Amino acid sequence: MSTGGAFGGNRGLRPIPPEKGIFPLDHLHECDTEKKEYLGCLKSSANKSEQCRHLSKKYLQCRMAKNLMAKQDMSELGFSGVKELDSTGDTNNE
Amino acid sequence: MSWSKACRGTQWFSSYLHNIHPTSRTVPLVPCSRYGACSVVNQHNLLSKRAFWESMLLGGAHPHYSTHSMITETKSRKMLYYLTAVVFGMVGLTYAAVPLYRTFCQATGYGTVEEKIARHFESGTVTEREIVVQFNADVADGMQWKFTPSQREVRVKPGESVLAFYTAENKSSAPITGVSTYNVTPMKAGVYFNKIQCFCFEEQRLLPGEQMDVPVLFYIDPEIETDPRMDGINNLILSYTFFKVSEETTRDLVDNKSSVPVQETN
Repeated sequence: MSTGGAFGGNRGLRPIPPEKGIFPLDHLHECDTEKKEYLGCLKSSANKSEQCRHLSKKYLQCRMAKNLMAKQDMSELGFSGVKELDSTGDTNNE
Repeated sequence: MSWSKACRGTQWFSSYLHNIHPTSRTVPLVPCSRYGACSVVNQHNLLSKRAFWESMLLGGAHPHYSTHSMITETKSRKMLYYLTAVVFGMVGLTYAAVPLYRTFCQATGYGTVEEKIARHFESGTVTEREIVVQFNADVADGMQWKFTPSQREVRVKPGESVLAFYTAENKSSAPITGVSTYNVTPMKAGVYFNKIQCFCFEEQRLLPGEQMDVPVLFYIDPEIETDPRMDGINNLILSYTFFKVSEETTRDLVDNKSSVPVQETN
């Protein structure tokens, strides 16, 4: 994907809508604990996202469970290969 | 073309010479030298040579010569049609390329998130570069929302999907609907920034005093490592701005209440 500086160049770049759509708002704060866990993990790991990927996966799964997000395979969202800490083997990680 | 004009110009001249020397045994020298194609005149072949020169001078009046030119003319005309068709064909193909490309991408799923990540995963390339993504949040003028990122920055490797949060709070006393847009700086790196899911481009309504945590799921295209223009870039700034769509005033709420019949009993 190497777009050159053709006519317009960087001026022509416009915001692209997200690939999988838009997150509905979590008005009832149902996934707050997962969110807090993830943010805490980020703070403790000096903002390295790699170490907190399992928690972000948990947050997304919470959203799917509470109907705040369309149910998708985790690999579709780029989480293939992420092993959960307390893996019970029910989610397919590959 | 100038040759035929010159030919016609010498027509009267050759006919004049012909009249002067009807039984001349020599080929007239003047037209001969004009074209520099003088050959040694052989008296035995005098008549045929003269006829040949006269046909040349008269510019295609000789029947043998005219069919030859007609054949080449038809050939050239066919060639012209063929080449014009090729040109139009190329232009049409260029126009058709856009929808064709789109259907190809949709059918094969090439270039979508999962395909890219799967490809990157399978190729087994180790991404060594760590890119720092910083967050920025803005609110349009006159909008009474407090909008901040929940984390100041995230260190991310290309090809990994990352979750980030923003916090939005409605500080006014009326429900406000807002819509957000984003941009990425530096601009040339914006091409490699892919959002999987976010809260932008859709109207979000917050009740007075409500605080909301909104997530963004994104990843950085692994191809950023192969682009030489991105060599010095290790910092990206993701910036969101919220704009006000509408603000419901208390008058609207009162009107709604009065129009709706009271449903609660006791």
